[in-house]
Amino acid sequence: MHEETVLWHVFGMSLNAKTLVMTWIVMGIILIIALLGVRKLSSKTPGKMQNFLEWVFDFVSKLISDNMSYEKGRPLLAYLVTLIMFVFFSNMLGLVPNLTFNLFEHFHVEFAELNKIFEGPSLMSPTADINTTLALALLTITLVIAMGVKHHGGRYFHHFLEPNPAFLLIHVIDMASKPMTLGFRLFGNIFAGEVLLKVILMLPGIWVLPGIIPDVIWLGFSIFVGAIQSFVFTVLTTAYVAQAVAAGDH
Amino acid sequence: MNPIAINLTLPAQVISFLLLVFILSKVAWKPLMKIMEDRRQFIADSLAQAEREREQAEQLKREYQEEMRKARQEAQEVIAKATKLSEERANEILAKAREEAEKLKQSALVDIERERDRAIADVQAQVSAMSVAVAEKIIRQKLDLRGQEQLIEQFIQEVGDMPC
Repeated sequence: MHEETVLWHVFGMSLNAKTLVMTWIVMGIILIIALLGVRKLSSKTPGKMQNFLEWVFDFVSKLISDNMSYEKGRPLLAYLVTLIMFVFFSNMLGLVPNLTFNLFEHFHVEFAELNKIFEGPSLMSPTADINTTLALALLTITLVIAMGVKHHGGRYFHHFLEPNPAFLLIHVIDMASKPMTLGFRLFGNIFAGEVLLKVILMLPGIWVLPGIIPDVIWLGFSIFVGAIQSFVFTVLTTAYVAQAVAAGDH
Repeated sequence: MNPIAINLTLPAQVISFLLLVFILSKVAWKPLMKIMEDRRQFIADSLAQAEREREQAEQLKREYQEEMRKARQEAQEVIAKATKLSEERANEILAKAREEAEKLKQSALVDIERERDRAIADVQAQVSAMSVAVAEKIIRQKLDLRGQEQLIEQFIQEVGDMPC
């Protein structure tokens, strides 16, 4: 297994093409689900998809109200729901078999190197790329600072100097470690899962029936891990924002 | 390949995700949240309405009970008044009857008195007449000639003495 990363070059800088394409697929899936859910909106007789979306909303609302006053967290609801759905479906995408059956390769579709993007036994999780997870983590930390400033104004930055200006370094490290741990945790879990999936598929005997058992077990475990990681990412984002919103309240 | 290679993908992912958040908020989350809020509001309204109606029902019940109590009291009062009135009437009628009877008795007594007086007067009259008659008879029997002379004499004497 030695895939080389497919790169697109824009203005002399490189983009991970596979990550981007998979991200767009995930975005498409979420958009379709959301549109199906709100197609026939009704407050009295919600459909199945609407029920699912409302369940997600209730779930995330409960996370918010567990961590901070719901009124302060309410503007975050849309962001957090999108976040948990995006991370979850991203984590799941790496477990989906590659249903293009290498047709791009077969017909030599070389436009944007699609043949290389859709190769291998399964698709790829966008979250198995450190760029995606760090992007989400940076958005989280931006949100944290923005919410802190929104609720406390300039006084928010004062808490970096408490209880003593000497603690500034510790606060800065604390602040910097938040997005790093967020990003690397998610990336590590999902990337490791995908690597192990590929390794299992290289096991000898995978092509006889009992040989797929390790694969099935690992897929099931990856679904579990993917769900947990999306939950953890959202919970931590909520908790960090709650800290920033509550800072100085005490 | 180095899996930890940060390049332009990072800002691209930031933009992608923000775009997703923006589109979903506009297209899906906003109407969905509105519907959920509507439902919450509807349920809250329904509960409030139910509570209001329950209170109204309670109020009505209290009013009815109060009215019932009042009606019963009034009925009681009416009955009491009627009983009192009828008793009074009865007493009045009795008194009147008694008075009338008394009056009748009085007039009857007066009548009886008058009749008795008349009867007595009659009897007296008859007795005197009969006395005169008896006296006449006796006188007729007793008046014989022997006594006539003396009588006539006496009579003339008396007449002669009378101043004329």
